[in-house]
Amino acid sequence: MKTRAFHKTYNNRVVLSLPELELPEGKITAVIGPNGSGKSTFAKILAGIERADEKKPILDDADIGYLPQKSFAFRMSTEKNIMQNGGDPARAGELMKVLGIDMLARQSAKKLSGGEMARMALCRILMRPYELLILDEPTTAMDMESTLAAERLIRKTCTEQGCALVLITHSISQARRVSDRVIVLHQGKLVEQGQSAQLLSDPQQEQTRRFLEFYGV
Amino acid sequence: MGSSIQKAIELILSADPELLNILSTTARVCLTSSILALIIGVPLGILYGAERFPGRRVLLVLNRTLIGMPPVVCGLLFYMLFSGVGPFRSLHLLFTVRLMIIAQVVLITPIIVGVMETFVSDTAPALRETARGLGFGRLKEYRLLINECLYSIFSSYLLSFARAIAEVGAVAMVGGAIAWRTNVMTTAIMMYTNRGSFTLGIALGLILLSLSLLVNIVLSLMQGRLSR
Repeated sequence: MKTRAFHKTYNNRVVLSLPELELPEGKITAVIGPNGSGKSTFAKILAGIERADEKKPILDDADIGYLPQKSFAFRMSTEKNIMQNGGDPARAGELMKVLGIDMLARQSAKKLSGGEMARMALCRILMRPYELLILDEPTTAMDMESTLAAERLIRKTCTEQGCALVLITHSISQARRVSDRVIVLHQGKLVEQGQSAQLLSDPQQEQTRRFLEFYGV
Repeated sequence: MGSSIQKAIELILSADPELLNILSTTARVCLTSSILALIIGVPLGILYGAERFPGRRVLLVLNRTLIGMPPVVCGLLFYMLFSGVGPFRSLHLLFTVRLMIIAQVVLITPIIVGVMETFVSDTAPALRETARGLGFGRLKEYRLLINECLYSIFSSYLLSFARAIAEVGAVAMVGGAIAWRTNVMTTAIMMYTNRGSFTLGIALGLILLSLSLLVNIVLSLMQGRLSR
């Protein structure tokens, strides 16, 4: 799967300008970078939620699933929220169990805590397969135990479904744990991209080196 | 004062025919107008809140202006339109319950539109981003949005009903407060007080206050249930 080159301008300021990018199927591509580097804007444009300046989707027709940074709980139970995305109740039960929210199935989703809401939203997006799955900081609100369970689930889903998975994260250690490839953004521009293991241990660009050093890697 | 209240309670308990007539006219005017306002106002409010289209801001300003319109001005407008020299005189609607209902609809629909628009503008962006991210179509997106709005729909209805039942200026002008025909609770209180007959006025006032209390109790009870 390949994106087209695009630009995004807000108030006459170019906030994102990216070349063609490869998003391999069956692989997890982590997008990392400091705050304001354009990670979430990239996710929204990729998902078709926002439009690039070129006014056309940056991907050819694809079935895309997108989990926003702040997910919305519909006014219904946790289980019904998850079932809104189709699939069978057994799959919903299995996902809830893996992420430890099975005991909250009948509770109103509006009453979930931040971490529980994030787990519910992840279960919901994983209910059916997509060709491209974009997860924008899916584990930020979760504790370490839930984060690791979520990462295992994300990895398993990507492998089983063979989808191209884009993981937006500000956690270098998360990118190292789950991703196959890494794209590094800085001030709306591509700094470098490559295989995770290689890029994160031996970055070629000064900006990447500084970013990794800042996070103690 | 004490004896007037005692007489008023006796009047309510005795099911006085004139009192019952006033109550049934009031119920007809207020229930019909508030339901019509709900049918018009809810879709408009959701549309103004969820969509961005040319002229939307103008419509919002117009709606806010209508929310603040004095009822007596609304009454005057309808009086001029439907009186013997007005363009709609041939419809013979002046001093009828039907025109009272129409005037009430014009007065209370903007309240429903305003409540719905405020709620939907706040809720729709996050809901829409999530729904689109999941790949839902427009129809499903709207179905989920309406589900989120249930409490707002309910509270805006009760607000508009409360405004309708407490309103006096417009219904007095277009209805004429004709006994046994177009007299509603508020116009009857004014009429009987002007005549110096306080008993019926107090009885009606007590009923109005009780209804207001009831509306607020129902609203409080439903708030917890519907906002879940």
